[in-house]
Amino acid sequence: MVSYKSWLDTRWRFVIPLVVLVINVWGLLLEYPHIANLLRTIDIQPDALTRSGTLGRQIIETVSAEHTYRGFVWFQWFRQNLSQLGTLCAVLLGSGSLLAGSSGAGTLFTLSLPASRNQWLLARASVGLAQTLALIVIPSLEIAVVSPTIGQQYAVSDALVHSLCAFVVCGMFFSLAFLLSTEFADIWRPLLIAGGIAIVLSLIESRYELNGFFRVMSGSSYFFADTIPWIGLLVSAVLSLAMLYGASVNIARKDF
Amino acid sequence: MSDLFAIETDDLRKHYDGGVEALRGLTLQVPRGSIFGFLGKNGAGKTTTIKVLLGMARATSGRATVFGLAAGAQDSSVAIRRRTGFVSEEKDLYELMTVEQIIRFTASFYPSWRGDLEHQYLRSFELPRDRKVQDLSRGMRTKLALLLALSRGAELLILDEPTSGLDPAMTEEILQALVAHVARQETTVFLSSHQLSHVDQIADRVAIIDHGRIVVSGALEDLLESYRRLQLVFDGDAPDHTFRADGVVRQQRRGRVLTVICRGNAEPIAADARALGAASVEIMPVPLREIFLETVNGEN
Repeated sequence: MVSYKSWLDTRWRFVIPLVVLVINVWGLLLEYPHIANLLRTIDIQPDALTRSGTLGRQIIETVSAEHTYRGFVWFQWFRQNLSQLGTLCAVLLGSGSLLAGSSGAGTLFTLSLPASRNQWLLARASVGLAQTLALIVIPSLEIAVVSPTIGQQYAVSDALVHSLCAFVVCGMFFSLAFLLSTEFADIWRPLLIAGGIAIVLSLIESRYELNGFFRVMSGSSYFFADTIPWIGLLVSAVLSLAMLYGASVNIARKDF
Repeated sequence: MSDLFAIETDDLRKHYDGGVEALRGLTLQVPRGSIFGFLGKNGAGKTTTIKVLLGMARATSGRATVFGLAAGAQDSSVAIRRRTGFVSEEKDLYELMTVEQIIRFTASFYPSWRGDLEHQYLRSFELPRDRKVQDLSRGMRTKLALLLALSRGAELLILDEPTSGLDPAMTEEILQALVAHVARQETTVFLSSHQLSHVDQIADRVAIIDHGRIVVSGALEDLLESYRRLQLVFDGDAPDHTFRADGVVRQQRRGRVLTVICRGNAEPIAADARALGAASVEIMPVPLREIFLETVNGEN
């Protein structure tokens, strides 16, 4: 029942994004034949683009990657849409009062029930992380299932490996919002602060071409070199655990 | 700490950030089986005391136990809440659940949930099962909160201003339900309120809290018995006399009448008054409301 409350509190924040992501994947795949035709007509001049700096290199990377179906899926879905929407969904699921009901009321009622604060926290974290995992895995597997309808194949193993990378890093952003939610009673401040941190990190990585969290999230090393980014995943997981522990300490010392 | 008491606190202190001292050495004993009125003005420390007892806030120092279990320890706090029903002042429930959903949700935490009481109160309170909590009137929310507290099969009910904001008819209905419940079940009731007439109606023991400490505590009957008002009427203007006897709480002179409120034996004061030439000396009981005001204003 402790988990049931967490589910009730977050179900719309899970179901609506899930529908959006599933539709997004459909749209992406239906778009592929047009993009493939378009890419055949583009004449890339690598030397000129490389000289034009970061943006030029990104254009080369995009066009090169999308010359194959696997590359198209990786770039459009795992590198772009899932990185952005997945982070947003994780932050959304991690935000909001952890003890109140979904309307924001009911904290004292929750605390009057015979369950410890850590039990409430653990249930909420477990449900939130499970929802984040589902939001990443279901649309990604959908690609493998739906690809034959447009005459393409996408390996389930690729979908799962990229989903793993995305989940571990999204879990870190979930944990950040979760930690902030033990400090702020409303949903907006954790959402805006965690979302803001994610955007800043993403801009820094992109500007300085760093091998940071968003590259780990997209599984670029797996796409280019069949190497799972274990170190990045480990760092993200450790940071997640640290933030979840911080949330537990914070909620335990709090007066209501 | 004794088994005789459902709640005991000893020199309990609570300082909030910002320097607010909500509790300043609160010492309290609530006997098992009693209906205990916990009285105080707004901001006196009533809600903070309840929050400390239920583990919602941590005491800065001192001891608080419920059923002999430490209120501040996480494990024993869960055990305390398993045996306690609570109604908060705001009737703070999950707004988006229906009445049925919140009942089922709450029941799942209590192996000793009383389905018979649940059905009884659903009927007598006329609660609509399929209506969302957010759509209930204040009175209905209070009834629902009370149903959730009473049906837990709790040994202790902690009620924080349960009738605040209710009209007299609804208040009467709630109090009657409470009294009937306590009469049937072996339950201790800790009723925090500043509605003195309600406490007067149902409590058998009271404590008055002011500025975070207990200023009066005891059996309601003894308390009412111990306070007396002496109304002294003189033929002419009442003399400007100060009574020195023990127990004089306040005296007031108005025209021919001198009124004295005292605690303890009123006879020495009455004898003193007769010696002063009072034409009539009348000794009357003092209502709880007046005792409360005298105590709180006296402390201030």
